Amino acid sequence: MANKAQTTSTLYKQTLLAGLWRENPVFRLLLGMCPTLAVTAAVKPALTMGLSVIFVLLCSNIVVSLMRNLLKAHLRILMFTLTIATFVTIADLFLKAFVPRMSEMLGPYVPLIIVNCIIICRAEACASKNNLLVSTIDALGMGVGFTLTLCVLAGVREVLSTGAIWEIKVLPAWFVPWAAMSMPAGAFITLGLLLGLVNVISKKRT
Amino acid sequence: MFKIKHFIEQSWLLIVASFCFGLLIATANTAWSPRIEQNKITKINNLMGGLLPKAEKFELAAELQIESAKGKKIKSNVYKALAEGRCLGWAFNCEGPGFADKIELIVSVDKDFGNFAGYAVLASNETPGFGDKIKLPYYRQQFAGAPAGKLELAKTGDAGKIDSEIVAISGATVSSEAVIKIINNSAAQVKKQMREKGLISNGK
Repeated sequence: MANKAQTTSTLYKQTLLAGLWRENPVFRLLLGMCPTLAVTAAVKPALTMGLSVIFVLLCSNIVVSLMRNLLKAHLRILMFTLTIATFVTIADLFLKAFVPRMSEMLGPYVPLIIVNCIIICRAEACASKNNLLVSTIDALGMGVGFTLTLCVLAGVREVLSTGAIWEIKVLPAWFVPWAAMSMPAGAFITLGLLLGLVNVISKKRT
Repeated sequence: MFKIKHFIEQSWLLIVASFCFGLLIATANTAWSPRIEQNKITKINNLMGGLLPKAEKFELAAELQIESAKGKKIKSNVYKALAEGRCLGWAFNCEGPGFADKIELIVSVDKDFGNFAGYAVLASNETPGFGDKIKLPYYRQQFAGAPAGKLELAKTGDAGKIDSEIVAISGATVSSEAVIKIINNSAAQVKKQMREKGLISNGK
């Protein structure tokens, strides 16, 4: 009995940690590349995006997990999309009402969460097969993993393109900002370098 | 009969879920839409306040419909800037294509629609470091006081001189030109319609 409880808690822990490193949606699964590249010019919009994704992922995983036994196999993707679209619309309205500046900066990328692969991937791979608790933990792990990755990427780009982080100057005045880092090219270069770094680190560990 | 039964068996969850989710979105929309509207109004008021700093308040004077250069219908709201009951000037919104995406502007003019008082960018998605300089004072200043007729873009010249010739932002000619095109196109139409409505004198 004790053994079983231990196995379950290990499973929960593993599920939670998977999203942070081993199955990190951006660095390991290469999912959700569109928002990863598009909204990481600065930390503030990246964090807003990350939090919106956590909210949508959490809600959609909970709902999908609850109705997993009622799903008809051939209609499941339709149900997932419907669920996701609902929560994305709510998140979009919320941002427009309470943080209009961020909503403007993120522009179409908030509604585009609907087609973000991470969310539909978790609905299909985890929530439609697991109970409520596992699905919730999985959503939290993946969501936080995604958010942290976005913030790291945005941190690097914001420092190099403006000399500031969270709009607070951190680099000395003589630093010449690299405007290119806030443009799409900067996003690809930073992502590429970070992916390489993650690969080097994970190779060393194994 | 069998077909209907089969249809309901297969899709009842979808139908129920659509209904529930629709209700959820409707609730969120009802609860937050006044706030969203208010945010938009606050933003426009702040921008107009920056263009006509002496104004105490802005009143919606007319809701016009203008046509973009490509013939698309655009709604343009004209606001009257008031201070101590007197009209100080007018501000209206307009839009048009930019380099990357649509550019939305607020343009303000003096009370006779004789000179521009300036413009502010309501929404744009121009290239950071280049096209997005249309938001910066050094380009915008050239419009403050410029005659409210047809503006022209010059590649070089004295940006400090206020006239109908606007000196382009170096490295962002397309964005600079887009702003001028939007203003030229909309100002002429708004002026005409405001005259027709008797908001401004017909200049005779």
